[in-house]
Amino acid sequence: MTAGVARPISGLVPSIPSAAQAAFEDVVVAYRERTVLRGVSLAIAPGERVALAGPNGAGKSTLLRVLAGLVVPRSGRAFLGGDPVDSLDRPAIARRLAAVPGQVTFPFSARVEEVVALGRLPHEDPFRGPRVADRAAVDAAMSRVGIDRLRGRDARELSLGERQLVLVALAVAQAAPLLVLDEPTAHLDLRHQVAVMELLADLNARDGTTILAVLHDLTLARHFFPRLVVLDGGRVVADGPPSAVLTRERVRSVFGVDVALTGGPGSVADAATPAAGPAAADAAVTAGAR
Amino acid sequence: MTIGGRSLALSRVRLRRPAGAPRPAALALFGIAVLATVVVLGVAAGSVAIAPGDTIGIVLRALGLPVERTWAAAAETIVLELRLPRVLTALVVGAGLAVAGATFQGLLRNPLADPYVLGTASGAALGAAIAVLIPIRVALLDLGLLNVLAFAGGLAAVAVVYRLGRGGPFAPLTGLLLTGYAVGSLLAAGLAMTMYLSGANLRQIFAFLLGGLEGSSWLRLAIAAPLVVGGSIAILARARALNGLLLGEEAAAHLGVDVGRERGILLGLATLVTAAAVAVSGLIGFVGLVAPHLVRLVVGPNARHVLPLAALLGAVLLVLADLLARLLGEIPVGVVTAVIGAPFFLALLRSARGGYEL
Amino acid sequence: MRPASEVPVRLTPSRATRAARSIATVALLGLLVSACGAAPTPAAAPTPTAPPTATAAAAATPVPSPAAAYPLTLTDDEGAAVTIPARPERIVSLTPATTEILFAVGAGPRVIATTDFDDYPPEAVALPDVASFQGVDVEKIVGLEADLVVAGGNKFNSPDALTKLRGLGIPVLVVYAPDVATVLKDIELVATAAGEPAAGAALAERMGAEIGTIGDAIAAAGRPRPRVFYELDATKEIYGPADNSFVAEMIELAGGDPITTGSSTVFSIPLETLLAADPQVIVLGDAAYGTTAEIVAARPGWGGMTAVEGGAIRPVNDVVVTRPGPRLVDGLRALALAIDPAASLPSPPSPAPGG
Repeated sequence: MTAGVARPISGLVPSIPSAAQAAFEDVVVAYRERTVLRGVSLAIAPGERVALAGPNGAGKSTLLRVLAGLVVPRSGRAFLGGDPVDSLDRPAIARRLAAVPGQVTFPFSARVEEVVALGRLPHEDPFRGPRVADRAAVDAAMSRVGIDRLRGRDARELSLGERQLVLVALAVAQAAPLLVLDEPTAHLDLRHQVAVMELLADLNARDGTTILAVLHDLTLARHFFPRLVVLDGGRVVADGPPSAVLTRERVRSVFGVDVALTGGPGSVADAATPAAGPAAADAAVTAGAR
Repeated sequence: MTIGGRSLALSRVRLRRPAGAPRPAALALFGIAVLATVVVLGVAAGSVAIAPGDTIGIVLRALGLPVERTWAAAAETIVLELRLPRVLTALVVGAGLAVAGATFQGLLRNPLADPYVLGTASGAALGAAIAVLIPIRVALLDLGLLNVLAFAGGLAAVAVVYRLGRGGPFAPLTGLLLTGYAVGSLLAAGLAMTMYLSGANLRQIFAFLLGGLEGSSWLRLAIAAPLVVGGSIAILARARALNGLLLGEEAAAHLGVDVGRERGILLGLATLVTAAAVAVSGLIGFVGLVAPHLVRLVVGPNARHVLPLAALLGAVLLVLADLLARLLGEIPVGVVTAVIGAPFFLALLRSARGGYEL
Repeated sequence: MRPASEVPVRLTPSRATRAARSIATVALLGLLVSACGAAPTPAAAPTPTAPPTATAAAAATPVPSPAAAYPLTLTDDEGAAVTIPARPERIVSLTPATTEILFAVGAGPRVIATTDFDDYPPEAVALPDVASFQGVDVEKIVGLEADLVVAGGNKFNSPDALTKLRGLGIPVLVVYAPDVATVLKDIELVATAAGEPAAGAALAERMGAEIGTIGDAIAAAGRPRPRVFYELDATKEIYGPADNSFVAEMIELAGGDPITTGSSTVFSIPLETLLAADPQVIVLGDAAYGTTAEIVAARPGWGGMTAVEGGAIRPVNDVVVTRPGPRLVDGLRALALAIDPAASLPSPPSPAPGG
């Protein structure tokens, strides 16, 4: 057993909701046939970078949607910036939370900068439209994300990786303190996967943006995120640094797959090196345990 | 303002525009100029030859300017009571259909949507057909039973589609589209039956189906124009919501759009505009489909630009089409718009880069 | 064809009774019409009753209406009150029948425009056209400064166009004759509106009387009434007269027993029904479109009909039989002869002018 097993943290939530960028308090989400979330409690402090992992159907996407106010829990509450989500109207939520969707379709051709400009919607004057400040924000977001070279291109003609970067730029332009991503690296090639991850780390480190990302790729989660929350069957089963959370036993019990872990946290070689021997992995994990 | 803690030097950041694309404002001015020209053309032409100088003189004199009367009273009647209301009705209807078409396209995220996509056409046509069959001659303020029932039918059809299209297993937009198709088909069957039973009245129903502006009058314009123009302005005021929907309903919600509410409001406004247009001029196709597309080709998908420019283009298109219809011997204007619109649309599809993703 | 809502519920009296009823109605109306005179306004002078046989002269030189007859308010066939401020000098006629009426009562010189499918009299064909099957050219009518428009009801002319004309201050008189009696009434009405009440009354009275004498002659001959099928068209479906329709009435007046479609709103008749009805005479109302007796006889399944076996398939000029105008009596005559070529009809009076 490792020392990194997550303690239940529900006791934290009621006492410091105002300090949390986002928080869930015993959230239960159920539909007629099944219960998706069975009492999830979680707090995310400002400036954190958190990855959310778990098998399909664990409820990760649902958790994000509860936070965004798109799904109403049967019981329990979610908080954004200290306020209950159900007390906020959509524009207020949009000012606190920016979401990057997995993929979108464009029914009409649109230039990259026009797509990014959509991120300013919550800030625009409803009648007069974008102002100079909004346009400046769009430019800044595009530079920040590094897609200046895509300016003027039709968004529909971009590769999936480039599109994802555009969507991230849209969320950056939205200038919300919390950035939420649902599987941002699905369908991306390795280079773009790493690019997105490094961008998120950069946004978090330099701008202080709080990041909450649902990831399937455990390797990426382990490498780029200091905190990993594992959901299984609608419950939080682990919450902590990846080295503590992602043990071979846990991966086997949650995901049903036997894996070998190589390297330790922060190792750049993670993504490319083949699995080392089990003994070395165990040693690395123990060494990295908090 | 700051992004993530860093402030920006606003004064040094300027919007860079891609070379070659005209500014929307310049386009709008150009569009207004074209529209004015086309309106004058429309009023000057007709089956009775009236000198263009006289035409302008008649209008100026009616506006109160001191112009000497050099024309027959009949010419004045023709210009002021027959042609002018007809051209202005074409203007209003064309603009309204284009705005409604743009709205439905944005709302349903479907480039094939037109103002009639949710059953407005079938509902209005059935209403009109029923009115034709009812052996009562009712006319209130120059609006016969036909216009009123067409208006009511168009609204009722969409209301039914909206009610039925919600819930169910499909995503709201898909559900609306599919329900619109189903209800529209049902209404079309009712229309076919009504036409079958109509006997001598078939021609009148047919004339409505093909669309026409012969019945235009100042009174009808006074009733339809506020609905069309008011509805269009109200839609323009909600352009932000329409923009937000570009990436889908969920993305729009994340951007702060109250999707359920905006969808209902935009749908209602667009249907109101369409029903008002259809009530006075029958079913005129293609304007509502083609005009928004043409405008988007030049200015992009931003609804704040697309809506007013599409309105201008729609107005120009319909005034021209009606002029052509009149000069070709009063053929139904819906035929002209289809004959011009369809090949144009085909050319559009071929040249569009990358096709459409639905 | 009578609109559905106006069809009274009928038992089925014998053919002779029906025929007699029609003839009596027509003759009575003819007499009434000539007795009452035309102008309903008190200021009009009562017109003299013209004798039945000398109407030619009377129609040729109509009694000029006194100026005090205008402004004139009439009720047209759709129940609208039409006010004509002065004697119309620029009349527009929007149906071929009303054109014929106007010319027959002497208002021809004052007719300035007609439809493009007017075919009689020849002077009318030469007039400018303001209406076609596409519709009515309101602009042209206004441009011609018309002061009276005579139009056809039952949506023959676009109701929108007529409303528009009325809205522009042009009096529009709408006539619609679902039966023969109303044709005579309409002749009076149109003539009065056009300022020729005496000529109209005379014409109507003459026609009524002639219809009466034809009916008398047929009844006097005492021959049995043959079953008559009036073919309107048979290129795809078979179209014939509907129940209580104008054509059915004409057939009765002409001495036949009309085979109808069985409904007043349906105009087609299935071949089996026609075979079961077994017409003894087939009158070709579509002769002008190329249908001949040989063609009919050759149609599959038609050979069993009495009319086909007996060779009793005869063409008529459908225009005069169905047009609700001054030549209707010629049509009745032609129809009677088509039904029974051996019928001895009274010879027509000296031809009416313009007809």
